Amino acid sequence: MLFLPELTLLGAGLIIFLVSLGKPDSGTVKNITIGLGAATLIAALMSFDQQGDLFFKSYRVDLFSQVFKILIAGAMLAVLIFGRKLTSIKKEIHPEYYLFLFSGVLGLMMLVSSVELLAIFVSLELSSFAVYIMVPMRDDSGKINFQMEAGAKYLLFGVMATGFMLFGMSYMYGLTGSTHLDVIVKGLSTMYNQPAAVVAIMMVLAGFFYKLAIFPFHFWVPDVYEGAANETTAFIASVPKLAAVALLIRLISMVSAEGHTIVNLLKVCSVLSMFYGNLSALVQKDLKRMLGFSGIAHAGFVLLGLLTFQTTGYANALYYIAGYAVMNLACFLVICTVAKDGENVLIEDLSGLHKRSPILALTLAIGLFALAGIPPFVGFMGKFYILVGALKQDYIYLVTLAAINTAIAIYYYLSVVRVTFCSNPENQDVVKTGMLTNATSIVLLIIIVAMGVEPQKFVDFAQMTIQSIM
Amino acid sequence: MNSSFLMSQAHALFSADGLAGLIFLIMVAVMLIGGLMACTSERLVRCVAGLVVCFVGVAGIYFYLNSPFVATMQMLIYVGAVSVTISFAIMLAAPEQSKKIGPSGPLSGPLGFLTAGLIFGGLAVLGCRTVWPVKPKINSGTMEDIGAQLLQNYSMVFELVSVVLLIAILGAIILARGGRNT
Repeated sequence: MLFLPELTLLGAGLIIFLVSLGKPDSGTVKNITIGLGAATLIAALMSFDQQGDLFFKSYRVDLFSQVFKILIAGAMLAVLIFGRKLTSIKKEIHPEYYLFLFSGVLGLMMLVSSVELLAIFVSLELSSFAVYIMVPMRDDSGKINFQMEAGAKYLLFGVMATGFMLFGMSYMYGLTGSTHLDVIVKGLSTMYNQPAAVVAIMMVLAGFFYKLAIFPFHFWVPDVYEGAANETTAFIASVPKLAAVALLIRLISMVSAEGHTIVNLLKVCSVLSMFYGNLSALVQKDLKRMLGFSGIAHAGFVLLGLLTFQTTGYANALYYIAGYAVMNLACFLVICTVAKDGENVLIEDLSGLHKRSPILALTLAIGLFALAGIPPFVGFMGKFYILVGALKQDYIYLVTLAAINTAIAIYYYLSVVRVTFCSNPENQDVVKTGMLTNATSIVLLIIIVAMGVEPQKFVDFAQMTIQSIM
Repeated sequence: MNSSFLMSQAHALFSADGLAGLIFLIMVAVMLIGGLMACTSERLVRCVAGLVVCFVGVAGIYFYLNSPFVATMQMLIYVGAVSVTISFAIMLAAPEQSKKIGPSGPLSGPLGFLTAGLIFGGLAVLGCRTVWPVKPKINSGTMEDIGAQLLQNYSMVFELVSVVLLIAILGAIILARGGRNT
């Protein structure tokens, strides 16, 4: 039972591998994968209250890891459902695409449970490898090959970040003589002002900053978001970020607020992420690029929550990233459905969407309102809690800068909503949506509203989750 | 410097520690030469040759640091397999020799050196200044020790690596050939 979700994923991988041996039509493949995704979510829910150590204490199953596993499984299922047409990937390699997707999720699930440096590293590599391969699998019929450029960029930056992370891990091992996080946290907490410890922690954090796309490690974002298939981008934009935040929470507890150097560095990263992301997003015409840049800004907000070094701050960050994943998925649901042939969606392509497909227009509007941070949606409450937490720590400058950023963000999110509702459509094509897509979008919207209306319950639960690892 | 100092230096050189230090320096030199060859050569094949030289140096360092098993693996896997694979890739892709991959701007070379120098200097100073705690030796780094560790403490990692490799191989096939049926 402890290992059930991971075993389900491994089994799912095997089944998809068997499917890839034959010549299945894409309808069968899609039904099988959605079924397997649902099975994974059910397995994650079933093992929700499990606790225990596995594999010589390098793998810990606790409330914290199980909550993240449910979030990851849920986000994966959503991507599988609304991206089930997979139009921009060649039909013959659909099973392989799903095989990589499932093994990537396996890596992420193992990542949130790993409490030992080698296990963390290998599970992170498993998840990265899968995504490195998924990015260039897009088929643009040999026109411009920008998916290859995106894939190469993603791989090179990823390898660089991984290299830094490994180097940092070697320092951690050198300083504490162990690869187990418990021992390392204890050892480093007494020497957080030693330069070697600071460098080690920053280098290891760099690996996860890359996944979360925080300022100095964000360079891959625009090209990968634009070059990868819509469905792949939806996956990259939501699922790995959840796991990255989980690991950041585990790792950042090594630092206390007294380690001034690290705190100041993280503050700079957080503010620069917000400004860079929001200012770049202002001028984007491609919706995916815009969401990519806005993702950098949101990562800055998450970091601001982590920066408080308090249980409440970590809980706010958890609440925020869960909300971000849902809002982002809602927006990508619209992108994947509007792009009939898997092409990239420009903002002007959405003109008059409210006539062409009311439910998609509503989903997009609520998703963007939530991302912009307008009540009563989850984005507003997430930002509110994080800013209150930062204010309690006397980070008055940070809070001011973050508030300015929220204002900048409102402009570009709402101008998309304006195009959707207020301009006359040039093409009157009705966008067809399937029953499953409609159901998914309604579920996502309900979550966005519920998390925004009853935030205290969710934040309290997040706090309970965080306390299980402190 | 007076002659007795030189004498004592020369004497120290021929002690066990001195010779070991000399071998260490030679290995570092091999690594540096290999690295320079790999970075500065204009022909890809020569870059690979430089890489091989550099890997040999790294293997020497592992040996010096009491890890004969890791050194052997470095020789087998990196010097042997990896460089052969890269050579195959170059042969199959047959890149145009005339096409020079120069620096993209006038500043990129100096800036690159500056960044690398800063990182190197910073890490070197850091390494020297830090008081590294000396821990008791866990094992002697032989094949038995490493095998036992891999199948006990790190069994999960050991199994997971195979999944990573599987994904990498499948991915290579998919990207290179576009699937099973083509």
